[in-house]
Amino acid sequence: MAEYWNINPQYETAVKHFLANKPEAEVTLEFEIGVRDFVNSGKGSAEVKNVLKRLGIDPTILRRIAVASYEAEINVTAHSNGGHMTSCVYDDLVYIRFVDKGPGISDIEQAMVPGWSTADDLVREMGFGAGLGLPNIKKNSDVMHITSEYGDSTALEIMIFYA
Amino acid sequence: MTPPEKEYYHAIQIVSDNCVGCTSCVKVCPTEAIRVRNGKAEIDTNRCVDCGNCVTICSFHAILPKSDSLEIINDFQYKVAILSSSYAGQFTEDIPYATTKQALLELGFDEVAEEAMVTDFMTNLVRDYIRKHRDYRPILSSNCPAVVRLIQVKYPSLLPNILHQEAPMSILTRYLREKIQTEKGLKDKEIGIFVIVPCVAHVTAVHQPEGAYKHLQDGAFSIGMIYGKIRERLRKMNGDQKPIDTYEQGLTWALAGVEAEMVDCDDIRALSVNGIDNVKEILSKVEDHYLDQYDYIVLRSCTNGCVGGCLNVENPFVAMSRIKKLIKNSKHKVINTSELKELYKDGEFAVVPLEPRSIMELDHDIKQAIQKMKKLNEILVMLPGLNCSACGSPSCYALAEDIVYNKASIDDCVVLLKRHQKEED
Repeated sequence: MAEYWNINPQYETAVKHFLANKPEAEVTLEFEIGVRDFVNSGKGSAEVKNVLKRLGIDPTILRRIAVASYEAEINVTAHSNGGHMTSCVYDDLVYIRFVDKGPGISDIEQAMVPGWSTADDLVREMGFGAGLGLPNIKKNSDVMHITSEYGDSTALEIMIFYA
Repeated sequence: MTPPEKEYYHAIQIVSDNCVGCTSCVKVCPTEAIRVRNGKAEIDTNRCVDCGNCVTICSFHAILPKSDSLEIINDFQYKVAILSSSYAGQFTEDIPYATTKQALLELGFDEVAEEAMVTDFMTNLVRDYIRKHRDYRPILSSNCPAVVRLIQVKYPSLLPNILHQEAPMSILTRYLREKIQTEKGLKDKEIGIFVIVPCVAHVTAVHQPEGAYKHLQDGAFSIGMIYGKIRERLRKMNGDQKPIDTYEQGLTWALAGVEAEMVDCDDIRALSVNGIDNVKEILSKVEDHYLDQYDYIVLRSCTNGCVGGCLNVENPFVAMSRIKKLIKNSKHKVINTSELKELYKDGEFAVVPLEPRSIMELDHDIKQAIQKMKKLNEILVMLPGLNCSACGSPSCYALAEDIVYNKASIDDCVVLLKRHQKEED
């Protein structure tokens, strides 16, 4: 089992506290992500975005959440055998977890390198697969955590604080 | 909804006596601003962006566009009309464009100017602005007032991306106002400048401009209203033509797609979008940074651009075809824009940074907003999810929201009511 962590040092204590307690979310959204379903891909993150707009989240933070969740959703669509997205909204942060049905990432460190991609022709035809997905998620999130086993599933967790 | 900070003007009025409560308008409103309550349509003035969808769809004359009446020009000593470019597409091809311009002059104006006169200048202004604002991508066009208001209402994070410069008709107004004052020795208040507009959003923009630093136009006349008077005038003129300058070449402004093609060049990639549903989809993608490869996006609320505005008389496709023909047959005219360039350099066309109209948030306080959202979700699961609008709200989600605000009750749901009745039987 390979693992990757990136935590914004500013939030280290808050993140530890959160992960230790796993508090119940105020609002939870569930979304199924289909295999190569580019027609519907992006709807899960759009739903999260609309909820956060209703909560009056700062527009700059909102765009970071939008980008990170959109990229992650597209990743599941483009690279996996389908998966599930769970978005947990709190009054100070949003936590989004993506779990797919494989095939797993063989080398996470390599996958984090901007420009590196395993995307097939179909994905590239759709305008994706530039190898910027994971680096973009890292750039826009406060916490990024990947656990993956090659030949098995991948889980990606992201957290973004509102302030 | 958060309490309104100011009263918003709208060029749309509801004639309650004519409203039958059919909910057609409720369904086509892009910002969910309309509700039918007690059998009558009501518009939430904080949400309305003046797109005109409701005006077009209503078949009971219950939602009418507002514009000024022509008599108001008599309050001014010197009267100027500025023609929006879609005007040229309203008349059959046997009537020369110059003749329709002459007829307008004869309605009582001292001068008729055309939006088309500043098209070349605008193209260069837009390119210059895009090159000077590299930090923002894509830059979003600002000339459609409905789009600007839509961004304020639903996509506030994109406000910094809007081209913060006046629209062409306002740039022309600023220029003419100064020029006429100097040349004719008139005071500002003696000059009346009016625009002939294709849509309600432009009427609203005249009465409540967003971000304007200075006094601009004195009124807005609907193309539809003017059209009738022009036809009458044309009959009286009986082919008596006077030489009148026209600027067909710049009529491109009325057409979606053409502005983008004009701005597009080696270092600027432009995209054109029209129709408010497409505009919404694109703005959502811009929020996700999915369209960062574009330097400029031209956004128009109406089909085919301004020719699709609800105050036009001609079908948008026919009008577009006529305007394209006029442009094709036009001769190249050099317009001196040096004075405009000076004004631009001095920052005279800049607008105040645009502010959000945050109708989206449930409450200013996030904890309160979350509580309201929980309540909303509890109500939502009880509703049938058919989004039939029979309750008078556009969707089940909107009804749940209205219930949270005590503006509606779950008993308003006709489907639930019917189910309960069946259970009782």
